[in-house]
Amino acid sequence: MKRFDVIVIGGGVLGCFMARNLCRWDLSTALLEAREDVCTGISKANTAVVYPGYDHKPGTLKAELTVRANRAFGMLCEELDVPFSRCGSLMVACGEQGAAILRKKLRNGLESGVPDLRLLEREELLALEPELTEAVTLGLYSPTAGTVNPWALGIAAMENAVANGAVFCPNSPVIGIREEQAGYAVQTEGETFFCRAIVNCAGLQSVSVQELLAPSPVQLRITAGDYLVLDPLTAHMPKHIVQYEPEQGKGLTAVPTVEGNLLLGPSEREGSDYGTDRRGLDFVRKMTRRVLPKVDLNDTIRTFAALRPNPERPNGSSIRSFVIDHPAEGFWSFLGVKTPGLTCADQLGSYVALQVAETLNARENPHFQPIRRGIPKLHGLDFAARQQRIAENPEFGQVVCFCEDVTLGEIRAAIRAGAVTVDGVKHRVGAAMGRCQGSRCRLKIEALLREEGVYGH
Amino acid sequence: MDIDLLIIGAGAAGLSAALGAWEAGCRSILIADRRSRPGGILEQCIHPGFGADLTGPEYAAALFSQLQNTNAELRMETEVLSVSENREAVLSSGAGLERVRFSHLILASGCRERPLGALNITGTRPEGVYTAGQAQEMMNLHDQDPGERILILGSGDLGMIVARRCVLRGKRVIAVVEKTEKYTGLARNYHGCIEAYEIPLWTRTTVTELHGTPGLEGVTVRSLDTNAERFVACDTLLLATGLIPEQTLVSGLGAPAWLHLAGNCNHVHDLVDSAAQEARTVGFEIIKRT
Repeated sequence: MKRFDVIVIGGGVLGCFMARNLCRWDLSTALLEAREDVCTGISKANTAVVYPGYDHKPGTLKAELTVRANRAFGMLCEELDVPFSRCGSLMVACGEQGAAILRKKLRNGLESGVPDLRLLEREELLALEPELTEAVTLGLYSPTAGTVNPWALGIAAMENAVANGAVFCPNSPVIGIREEQAGYAVQTEGETFFCRAIVNCAGLQSVSVQELLAPSPVQLRITAGDYLVLDPLTAHMPKHIVQYEPEQGKGLTAVPTVEGNLLLGPSEREGSDYGTDRRGLDFVRKMTRRVLPKVDLNDTIRTFAALRPNPERPNGSSIRSFVIDHPAEGFWSFLGVKTPGLTCADQLGSYVALQVAETLNARENPHFQPIRRGIPKLHGLDFAARQQRIAENPEFGQVVCFCEDVTLGEIRAAIRAGAVTVDGVKHRVGAAMGRCQGSRCRLKIEALLREEGVYGH
Repeated sequence: MDIDLLIIGAGAAGLSAALGAWEAGCRSILIADRRSRPGGILEQCIHPGFGADLTGPEYAAALFSQLQNTNAELRMETEVLSVSENREAVLSSGAGLERVRFSHLILASGCRERPLGALNITGTRPEGVYTAGQAQEMMNLHDQDPGERILILGSGDLGMIVARRCVLRGKRVIAVVEKTEKYTGLARNYHGCIEAYEIPLWTRTTVTELHGTPGLEGVTVRSLDTNAERFVACDTLLLATGLIPEQTLVSGLGAPAWLHLAGNCNHVHDLVDSAAQEARTVGFEIIKRT
């Protein structure tokens, strides 16, 4: 029987930050994740944008948290040693309908305190971002927008939580919750955990997890979206995040990622699994040709689909705000957090951790250590620095992933940091993410996982 | 170190280029290769049909034994990290980094395979999808089976040879799927691999969608004549959909006079003899000209 003050259910980026923020208080915390690793669901497939905060109605929690999160994002990523590119975003329109939306977003942004926003006319826009279509008429420039790798962020938050005493329990799907004296019993397939409080961060499963204990005020409508990822060597890579606001219907987001790829998407459609859809991908291609006409879509190296939970009231009307339900004493549920969930994960975690701490009369943890260091990359080091690393460990001299220049030493470090699958290695050190998509290194990574005694999934 | 000729890749092309350069009088040759043994992709091609009906490893061994008569230096398990405009390459191995200054560079880095993400195939991204070369490596170098019920997309030489190899390992090859009207590899591979082992060849057909998670459960195949689609159950899909000359290392360098391409990284050759011959000539000519 295991006892904790707080159990976090779900190890997406939100659950990881929930656990990390609970560690700021003198609360013992466990995170139960159904799968073998963190960030395997909504957080794995994502647009990777750190939004500036002009998309939401001023005064709402979403607007407030997004603006605050964006301002703090650089420092957060420094604490956690996660690459963050504040590349800025250009929301562009090619006609009056789109321009009207841009002006409205500008007003929202100014009212919410988004810094440095300005509208750019066509010529200035094309000078700033020459890859854009000549058909653009107006752009909303937001220099504070940025991009981060969602799983890199989630993994970093979880590692930092564990370093501060949180316990990570993979392969632990929750199948039952019941009230106990002064708390809850949380049942997984293997064991029962006792706790004083629960925070449900189960993403697509958040409603069904809540319903293990209490009725849910919302239901989730799951939608899917498709994305393309292009080779970093592709020509005509935009320097900014480009968001296309068409005259009608859905547009496109194009992101020059921290890894150097171009991410294009998403479409929006019905769908309940992570399979891609032809019409969805064709939509993304069509939109790309329209707004970034010089991009060569033959440089695509990967396609993927994302799932989103859309919270709705019982009458079917959609809910725009974050739904944070508190159906029972000591029980909080994030029900269907979607965009800008990645941007706000730390803020949301901090916000609910404070409520948990107040309820449980917890004091601040004076020993909380916010600094986490990731696995240092060999790629990008200068000759002397790289030589030094190889002298310390010859495995840093042996390149395993040729496309992304990832060495044996880094892959072994990823496995020792918690990777139990090839995806886990990919997400920690970027191996097998390149233009050959692991066709030359996957077998070596699998062999190394076996050698380290963790491979079995 | 300073050398006359740096060769990147110790496969059929790289070894042959070294022999050609030696023959022309070059006495300062360094060959760097990321693998642990010379021979490149030949190492995993254990079937006969190379040169005078040798297996891949035998063909590589024959080239390598000729190289023993030269003073060319071979660095295995060595990755070339970069090649710069001032004719300097940085090599990485467990022993450390090394700067190599050269007069000429021959890139003999072969091909990479077109991965799933580059194909217009939708659906899930399950376990059980490999490139044909990857499956060949699994079977021939690691004694692993890619799966039990296998569909192969693409009827080039690699697709057909791997189809036969799967059958020889006791696996069921449901079909080789080919979008054109006829197999695209050599006739001798069609007769020796597909006909001789009675493997179905579905022409004017392609794979459009994958099903299953976490493991592959089947694929949708489409007839390109009727557009009719149907589900085919399988646990493994091998992609033999094309080879891409591997020129990443020199992309962005333009075409300086000191840079030469040889073998499959120059263009894809049907026969190893032709890649080797081309590379030998490249090596010879560079040295003769200077």
